[in-house]
Amino acid sequence: MAILNLKNREIECKIVYYGPGRSGKTTNLEHIFKAFQKHVKGEMVSIDTEGDRTLFFDFLPFGVGKIKGCDVRVQLYTVPGQVQYSSTRKLVLKGVDGLVFVADSLEVRRKKNMISLKDLQQNLKDYGTNIFEVPLVLQFNKRDLAEQGIPLMSTEDMERDLNRQLKAPIFSASAVSGDGVGQTLTECLKLTLQSLQRQFNWAE
Amino acid sequence: MDTESLIKSLLKEAELYQSQGLLDDAKQKYDNAAALIEKNPELENRQDLLDTVSEKIGALGSDIDKVEKASKSPELSAKVQDLIKNLFAFSDEKDKDETELEGAIALAKFGQFDAALAEFNELIKRDSLRVVAAKNILRCHIANASLDDAVAQYGQWLSSDIVFSSQQLESIRIFLQGILDRKRIDKRLPSVVSSTHFEAVVTPSHVEEEISEDEEFLDITLIGIRPKAGRLIELDVNFQRGNTISVLIPGRDKDSINRVEVGLKLDDVECSSAFAVFMASGTVIEKTRIDTGAKRGDYRVEIKIESA
Repeated sequence: MAILNLKNREIECKIVYYGPGRSGKTTNLEHIFKAFQKHVKGEMVSIDTEGDRTLFFDFLPFGVGKIKGCDVRVQLYTVPGQVQYSSTRKLVLKGVDGLVFVADSLEVRRKKNMISLKDLQQNLKDYGTNIFEVPLVLQFNKRDLAEQGIPLMSTEDMERDLNRQLKAPIFSASAVSGDGVGQTLTECLKLTLQSLQRQFNWAE
Repeated sequence: MDTESLIKSLLKEAELYQSQGLLDDAKQKYDNAAALIEKNPELENRQDLLDTVSEKIGALGSDIDKVEKASKSPELSAKVQDLIKNLFAFSDEKDKDETELEGAIALAKFGQFDAALAEFNELIKRDSLRVVAAKNILRCHIANASLDDAVAQYGQWLSSDIVFSSQQLESIRIFLQGILDRKRIDKRLPSVVSSTHFEAVVTPSHVEEEISEDEEFLDITLIGIRPKAGRLIELDVNFQRGNTISVLIPGRDKDSINRVEVGLKLDDVECSSAFAVFMASGTVIEKTRIDTGAKRGDYRVEIKIESA
């Protein structure tokens, strides 16, 4: 949950990267860490296991700078995507202010995307949050693999699978090369701050 | 696509999935390729191809095995443990006790049982947290697969009357005995109050009252209620002291806010804890609108769970 100190004009909010295992959530954060060094406010912490799979979470403190006179800081997290880490995902999701759902564009991962989105919806519901009301951005990752002749889903098909009802903003991306990573985060930040403005009128 | 091209395509996909860490998908593609090679005896170098693919499948199988067998809760560095404590304690910073308790619970939830035990062993020294810290110490031992340690710990507390009152010890005994019973472990924990004395001074109805008044309740994480026989409302438990739980209802959920009134009796409260889901009844004892902070506009509702 966001921490607002209106007296000192400070906001700290939490953005979580969600999605199926190996969809590129950690790679998103790694790119942010490298490409936006000026904004990074500390070390990136990754707690992973065999085969570089996220075990608990990744964490990256990020500073946006002054917006409407407020110093905006963001805690960026990823969740472990593997199905068996359900309770950890739920724990990391607690108090979330904005979400990036990183979907895998590979055709073979179609079902995993849908299962993960359903899992997100359920976990948010358990916290009394409606997925339609939380600031959410979808990222269709690994679009670069099309060049290698690997079967990818079309963005239209992915939109039909994942975004027919949500109508969330979508970004095609390649987290490995960094394409679309910044745009995804920027949009999510924008939606999150707008949502916090509706709740707390912080920009007054 | 001719057979040879199809096999090449499958192998290419398999290699890419492997490089992406999608081990099951990679293995599936190699399996498909192997089946196709088997089915086509006219293929040039068929046996060599089969051998190569089999080798890849074998290596993948062992990688998958390694991933599955990897520790689910490795011991993390002290620095990361501190980070977990800070990041996953959500209470108002002003409530030091609650914040520290949440930090210790977070460590346990991330499988850092030794560190969590160290924290709980400090918190147990504080009167307001003594029982809840004790129960969490027992829970850490149990989660760490050492039920014997939990029983031994209780025995240690029992033989030392410095820290706990006899009422607190009895509460802890009931809590641990409940876990042992649910696990069908045939062990009776000694009580600080001798059974004859206990039976002599309290009637069965008093025993029940003691049970519900005291803090033997499991930590409830989620409740489901149907106030006024309406739709089911599921609420995350924000905080629990004994048999009183505190939940938050978002301000936008007007329907739920209107249906939950102070004094309302709830007959079927579905309580979920780490160990079990159980039905209880309860009474709404407080409903307060939050006027400051991140949860402004939401309602904090306290429910006393009366029988389980």
